[in-house]
Amino acid sequence: MKAANFEHHEPTSVSKAVSLLESLEEPTILSGGQSLVPMLRFRLARPDTVVDINGIDELDYLHEEGGYLKIGALARHADVEDSELIEERYGSFADTVPLVADPQIRNRGTIVGSVAQADPKGDWGSVLIAHDGEVVATGPDGERTVPIDELFLLPYDTSLDEDELITEARVPIPVEREGSAYHKLKRKTGDYAMAGVAARLIFDDDGRIEDAGIGMTAVDITNVRASDAEERLGGERPDPELFAEAGELAAEQSNPESDEHGDASYKERMVEVLTQRALGDAAERAGVIKRRVSP
Amino acid sequence: MTNTREITLTVNGTERSTEVEPRRLLVHAIREDLDLTGTHIGCDTGNCGACTVLVDGEPIKSCLMFAAQADGSEVMTVEGMEDLPESDGLHPLQEGFHEEHGLQCGYCTPGMLMAGKALLDENPDPDEAEIREAISGNLCRCTGYQNIVKSIEYAADKLAAQPAADGGTVAIDGDAGPAAAGSAADGPEPFEGYEVDGEFTCGAENCCGGPATDAEHTGGDNV
Ligand SMILES: Cc1cc2nc3c(=O)[nH]c(=O)nc-3n(C[C@H](O)[C@H](O)[C@H](O)COP(=O)(O)OP(=O)(O)OC[C@H]3O[C@@H](n4cnc5c(N)ncnc54)[C@H](O)[C@@H]3O)c2cc1C
Ligand code: FES
Ligand code: FES
Repeated sequence: MKAANFEHHEPTSVSKAVSLLESLEEPTILSGGQSLVPMLRFRLARPDTVVDINGIDELDYLHEEGGYLKIGALARHADVEDSELIEERYGSFADTVPLVADPQIRNRGTIVGSVAQADPKGDWGSVLIAHDGEVVATGPDGERTVPIDELFLLPYDTSLDEDELITEARVPIPVEREGSAYHKLKRKTGDYAMAGVAARLIFDDDGRIEDAGIGMTAVDITNVRASDAEERLGGERPDPELFAEAGELAAEQSNPESDEHGDASYKERMVEVLTQRALGDAAERAGVIKRRVSP
Repeated sequence: MTNTREITLTVNGTERSTEVEPRRLLVHAIREDLDLTGTHIGCDTGNCGACTVLVDGEPIKSCLMFAAQADGSEVMTVEGMEDLPESDGLHPLQEGFHEEHGLQCGYCTPGMLMAGKALLDENPDPDEAEIREAISGNLCRCTGYQNIVKSIEYAADKLAAQPAADGGTVAIDGDAGPAAAGSAADGPEPFEGYEVDGEFTCGAENCCGGPATDAEHTGGDNV
């Protein structure tokens, strides 16, 4: 099916985009289009106007600055994949990117578009939750930051105002003795998650967990935080039993639905397993444990 | 509301203009407006990869991009393969699919070829896992993929073996490819280039226009 016809605007600066968003009636933002184009085609979305942000060069960046890893709205999945910075220091990001869709979609789709889509099956929302990330929303009154936990309201629904766009997603730069990871269960290459878990651990000088972040994919109506598991981990030394317990708590806090890919109890069990694996990798990458690799 | 606009694409080396509505997808512009039906539509939702083309050298799914968004870009479709400097009638990838039985019904093939081309441009010597990753966004109902992987391996081998004389390894920005490096001491390789629509081009981004316009090349094609 063809998309309904719309007017196509291509602003070349954030300020022009914002004034368009403000003046137009119910505009829709187009970034990578990898989720929006199918929605327009199925007429799940029928906007009169589309504000295409692909020409705003100032939004095309991925760098560390002022204590944050900053991901501009035009940083594509493929830019994360190609980044040495990510490869060296951001385990969860490096784990996630090859698991998102396929190479062609990663060339167009963006991390910011993915969180703006607020798909409970989207992978990046969980990673940002694990890292206590936030997004920068820019509107007529300027910029405001929205903690990632306050962004997702419902499936495909965020707390953004209609005349705001997300210009940036960001996470604090990892400290020493910090590690992170993402594990995802899917049926085949390129698929959305049946369940996914992102974990980040920060250890103190003593080898105890100072801070833990856990985000979950596809097991509730939005990406969600496993806060009970996070709390259980605080102040403890890493060990398999502790991680197993955290996995159980995460599973309890998840709320998956039975569907053609598996029933809810199976998915809960998967959350348990994925949590343990992600925590194990995170602790290993933080340099506080060494795990035996099976031959 | 009929709002159309003219867009200009450089398709397979030739500039083409067409009028499009904003909702027109790139794949429809390519197939219907430019009459290049080698690019296929399979799923229409971004899953199958049959519509894969290169936009400014990157593989994308042309059913997930509006034509207007490609305005000013270079687009390469499967029809452009025979005109590449490394092609001798067929491109080594096309030859590979023929030699290694990389297709049955052929529906997925144009997309596979474009995904394979993008891979080899970036990584001339991929291992099997890298090939499978590169085509992971392309579905095939027929082959089981094994022969597609072999076809791409065939092309990688053939391209590596191609002497610079074929234009297979054109030195760009002083970065001589492996084949050219070996013979650098023997002076410049004969340079053939190729013709698209009567115009000489060597495949390099800033092609000088060929022997007729640049004395530097007279030691090549005209030897
Ligand atoms: C076959 C297929 C498989 C996929 N598999 C996965 C997967 O495994 N995991 C995964 O996480 N994703 C997957 N995706 C989705 C893909 O990652 C998309 O790239 C991503 O979700 C959307 O990003 P985009 O830049 O393409 O956004 P668009 O499609 O352009 O936009 C998505 C939504 O966000 C809004 N929006 C976009 N940018 C902004 C902004 N800056 N500010 C405010 N609102 C904005 C748009 O208006 C729209 O509502 C898949 C997609 C396809 C087609
Ligand atoms: S037709 Fe574009 S991916 Fe299937
Ligand atoms: S050869 Fe038939 S779909 Fe691939």
